[in-house]
Amino acid sequence: MAGRALGRWLAFLVVAAGAVVMVLPFYWMVVTAVSPAPEIIAFPPRWIPSRLVGDHFREAWARAPWLVYYKNSLVVATVSVGCSVLFGLFAGYAFAVYRFPLQNLFFLLILATLMVPVQVTSVALYVFLARLGWVDTYQGILAPNFASAFAVYLIRQAVQTVPTDLLDAARIDGAGEAQIVVRVVAPLIKPVLAAVAMLLFLSSWNDFLWPVIVINSERMRTLPVGIALFKDPYGFINYGPLMAATVITVAPMLIAYAVSQRYMIRGIAMTGLR
Amino acid sequence: MVSAWAPVVRAVVRAYRRHYLHAYLFISPVLVAFGLFRVWPALQTLYFSAFRVELARRRLVYVGVENFAELLHDEIFRQAVTNTLLYAVAIVPTAAALGLILAVLFTERFPARELLKAVYFAPMVTSTVAAAVVWWWLYNPQYGLFNALLRMAHLPPSPWLLSTRTALLSVILFSIWKTVGYNMVIYIAGLQAIPAEFYEAATLDGAGPLQQFWRITLPLLAPVTAFLLIYNGIFAFQVFDQVYVLTGGGPANATNVVVLEIYRQAFQRYRFGYAAAEAVVLFVFILAITILQFRTSRRFEVTY
Repeated sequence: MAGRALGRWLAFLVVAAGAVVMVLPFYWMVVTAVSPAPEIIAFPPRWIPSRLVGDHFREAWARAPWLVYYKNSLVVATVSVGCSVLFGLFAGYAFAVYRFPLQNLFFLLILATLMVPVQVTSVALYVFLARLGWVDTYQGILAPNFASAFAVYLIRQAVQTVPTDLLDAARIDGAGEAQIVVRVVAPLIKPVLAAVAMLLFLSSWNDFLWPVIVINSERMRTLPVGIALFKDPYGFINYGPLMAATVITVAPMLIAYAVSQRYMIRGIAMTGLR
Repeated sequence: MVSAWAPVVRAVVRAYRRHYLHAYLFISPVLVAFGLFRVWPALQTLYFSAFRVELARRRLVYVGVENFAELLHDEIFRQAVTNTLLYAVAIVPTAAALGLILAVLFTERFPARELLKAVYFAPMVTSTVAAAVVWWWLYNPQYGLFNALLRMAHLPPSPWLLSTRTALLSVILFSIWKTVGYNMVIYIAGLQAIPAEFYEAATLDGAGPLQQFWRITLPLLAPVTAFLLIYNGIFAFQVFDQVYVLTGGGPANATNVVVLEIYRQAFQRYRFGYAAAEAVVLFVFILAITILQFRTSRRFEVTY
């Protein structure tokens, strides 16, 4: 019994020590953002600032239109999640419930797109969107994210667990197919829909490569593009405002995470494994 | 004749309307979106790779396999491929092993368990770009926290991102910090799926904790491990954000990776055809890993 307790405390010590390492970058980001300038570069490092300073935030806020970046990120993430979940719901239902010609071919085709990420197709996609006049527009940023193979796959798996009798009962009651999807199936697989939506929101919100390719103007920048381009011309001295800018960038997501972390982690575990 | 066939025709039409029409209607948004923005660009990538794109004259010049021939002798691209491979080989097993160790430690019931779990996962929800900006500051050779800590421990400071010998390792350290929480969460889910009776039976048979880990836990987690190795492997080949922010591929291409090289050729030098050829090579690598997945996941299929 003593051995068990010892093991428990040993595990706690190792995990806690590791957690300190994990937290350190976040902690130092905040400390740098609120410390008086001389303390930022002091040696030995000052773990707790002598007083809290708001100058770095004021400067970072004045130098870039953060609200525009927030708005762009929010619009892009919301639309991509909305479309991907809605389209994925109907497509997932069709693949799970119906039998139709070329079904397997279409399904394989959709899954195959998982193997061809935007990193591979970015050049051709850019050329294509340039021809459509979509460069530097919301549609352009959204183009690769209007639908998600991952969403189709997971929703199909979930719909397969819905009893067919339930669908038939709804049909006998005179419900149309679209009605069945929205009124009967969607509520039954809500946990999967929520997990998919959360994961897609996260990846869209933090997406960088494709936006940095397709965005030219400042008014279209999303948060990751904003912070990356904020860092570059800023030089090597003003770490305070730079860290204030990263706080501004990551704060909404970290706060959302802090509030819902159990739920988010469960969602990831659910979607990560099959 | 007509009347004899009429019910059959009606039935077929009804079945068609009820199922086929709905099926095609329901999958069409996904097919259209994927067709336009995934499949078509994928085919175009293959097509472009055989051309030299002359933007100024707005024309394509057919060059056959010339782009690929040039790639073979392109020192910078070769280094990008080598770096990407090194990155993948370093990060994939390390992040998996750390994730597994953490997951096993988390099976113990100690205080603040949920909070600590959340801490490990926090980097995962943070944008890679923003987190990399923070690490860029931590890695600063003069004022960065990492060298300050080394000096406090009376260890020699490191140039981190500024030296060709340490830059790639610095990028890898960042990426491990970023992904270990994900692997941990997936392993925790995998551990919970192992029936407790297995351990109870092993304990009755007198197996110690270490023996139980090697004989029960590890083999039963094999499918999870296979999933993580492949999943992380594919992502490792797509690495871009942290390299862009931390080093921009430098110094002297020491951290240049395939996606960054595609980005540079296409969007800084406007060599679309050449970049497309590089993208085809990247696809071949990802395809190879995926095929490996199908092979290994079948072998690791465990039923209990």
